[in-house]
Amino acid sequence: MDTTIEVAGLRKRFGQSLAVDGLSFTARPGQVTGFVGPNGAGKSTTMRMLLGLDSPDEGRALIGGRAYRDLRTPLFEVGALLDAAAVHPHRKGRDHLLWLAHSHGLPTRRVDEILELVGLSGAGRRRAGGYSLGMRQRLGIAVAMLGDPPVLLFDEPVNGLDPEGVRWIRGLLRAMAADGRTVLVSSHLMSELEDSADHLVVVGRGRLISDTSVAALLERASDGRVAVRTTARTQAIAALSGAGGEVAATGPDALTVSGLPSERVVALLTSYGVPFSEVSAHRATLEEAYMELTRDAEEFRAVAADGGFAPHPGED
Amino acid sequence: MAATDARTLRALGGPAARDRARSAAEAGRPARERLPYMVHAEWTKLRTLPTTWLILAAAVLLTTAIGAAATSGLDPGHCRGTEPCAEDIVKQSLTGVLVGQVVVAILAIHAVCGEYATGTIRTTLTAMPDRVRVLVAKAVVVGGLTAAAGAAGVGAALGTARFVLLSQGFDHAHGYAALTLADGATARAAVGSVLNLVLVGWLTLGLAWLVRDSAGAIGSVLGLLYLSPVLASLANDPTWQHRLRKYGPGPAGLSVQNTLRLDRLDIGPWPGLGVLAAYTGAALLVGGLALCRRDA
Repeated sequence: MDTTIEVAGLRKRFGQSLAVDGLSFTARPGQVTGFVGPNGAGKSTTMRMLLGLDSPDEGRALIGGRAYRDLRTPLFEVGALLDAAAVHPHRKGRDHLLWLAHSHGLPTRRVDEILELVGLSGAGRRRAGGYSLGMRQRLGIAVAMLGDPPVLLFDEPVNGLDPEGVRWIRGLLRAMAADGRTVLVSSHLMSELEDSADHLVVVGRGRLISDTSVAALLERASDGRVAVRTTARTQAIAALSGAGGEVAATGPDALTVSGLPSERVVALLTSYGVPFSEVSAHRATLEEAYMELTRDAEEFRAVAADGGFAPHPGED
Repeated sequence: MAATDARTLRALGGPAARDRARSAAEAGRPARERLPYMVHAEWTKLRTLPTTWLILAAAVLLTTAIGAAATSGLDPGHCRGTEPCAEDIVKQSLTGVLVGQVVVAILAIHAVCGEYATGTIRTTLTAMPDRVRVLVAKAVVVGGLTAAAGAAGVGAALGTARFVLLSQGFDHAHGYAALTLADGATARAAVGSVLNLVLVGWLTLGLAWLVRDSAGAIGSVLGLLYLSPVLASLANDPTWQHRLRKYGPGPAGLSVQNTLRLDRLDIGPWPGLGVLAAYTGAALLVGGLALCRRDA
């Protein structure tokens, strides 16, 4: 069964503002696809269209080639966490899962199984109104995983979680992808996806900014730069810039060089007799890469603002 | 993290469990068999909210108590009606339905607007994307609960009133028979009252899907049910008084409670219920269209 998420030419307007503006991307099985962008970038709206809650004005939002509204047993095909706070406060957590289980003819046993999995066995018999934000997130994850679906959509799953909860979600995302499932997870913070995403779809103001693998993105941000660790910084700068390298000091004993391959850096330092303890390919962090991308997005944003677009309200 | 992975996969049971879960619920089950699951889900949803039971208890108690109060003020010697002097004791006993239908409307609003207020509607439509079936499933559950509470309330009201009326002197000596469902007209008034409650529940469901918000929904249903009798009492023109009582959903629906002087009614018992049913059908149609067309 095909479990690819396909968004093509998706467009959605709310009144005056374009929430999603011709967005296209694909999320494949066996990968965690991060869906990143600032607040109001159209991530939640896109997720709602994927789930058939909102209808697109234009374009397609398909899961396994099918529109969500055509799914007969959606909980077995797609698990979704949209808004963890969207639980009736007077209903017990376990009962919330129970009605969902009944909607697909699942046995009560499955509800208790999933409660244990998300660590809510004890709290299941308490009313959801008394849950902490973290407990609500766990209940939302339980809803998504109830039918053991091969496709998972999580909208800001780590919002408001404590470090232990964040670690738990990351482990879960990795495990789900390793199990061959398609995992699409949105976040407004790139750092939240560090170590968990394989692929990144970056959006801004409803438009696609970048659709690439994490590895390719990091490589681009690293841009062939070489990191040098040396106690003789001044001599090293002189030697390397003399050979045409562009050198930047990044610490009291650290430099980054661009324009020279690492072999050439080693040869230069050796021939000039400059002591060094390390020469390595510079590894950009995801955050650096994101900053680079959003710097472009800022420019785009300024252009868009000149073009008369109003900011899109009310989305987190 | 390795421990989390292992635990996660063990709990999920891996692909085998997934296939089991899916084959259990999906394999060989045609789409049309999904509706019973959805009704089950809607039933679980309503029964797990304590408010549901409070509303149902209020519907039964108010229908009974108001019937008892209405009959306790009657006196077989001082007829309020015109000649031939006779009280419609069945209709008086069922006065509580007038208030019971407001409580039933609150139940319907609780079932629909509560979902919009808490955001549960998105979970509902994600689990059950066929919106027409969601509407049907909710109507089945709300209708069933209303019928049960209505039958209990109407039964209790007649039982209490029978006792009250006998102690007030409404006996053979004054030309009255004790209330009994064995009497055809009484049975029709009782069954009709329950149907009236179910129709009001569905009418409110339709409006609730349309309006989404509790205050707006209760306002529109109260306006729809009680505005026409108020306007009728204000109208000077007898033709308009008659029309408002004949075609207003509130008074038309309750016409089914009459057991005396049927020829003088603005609209007959069953045609009256038919008028209410027409309003209900229209409300469900409009509410259903709104549900299907709008973003959730």
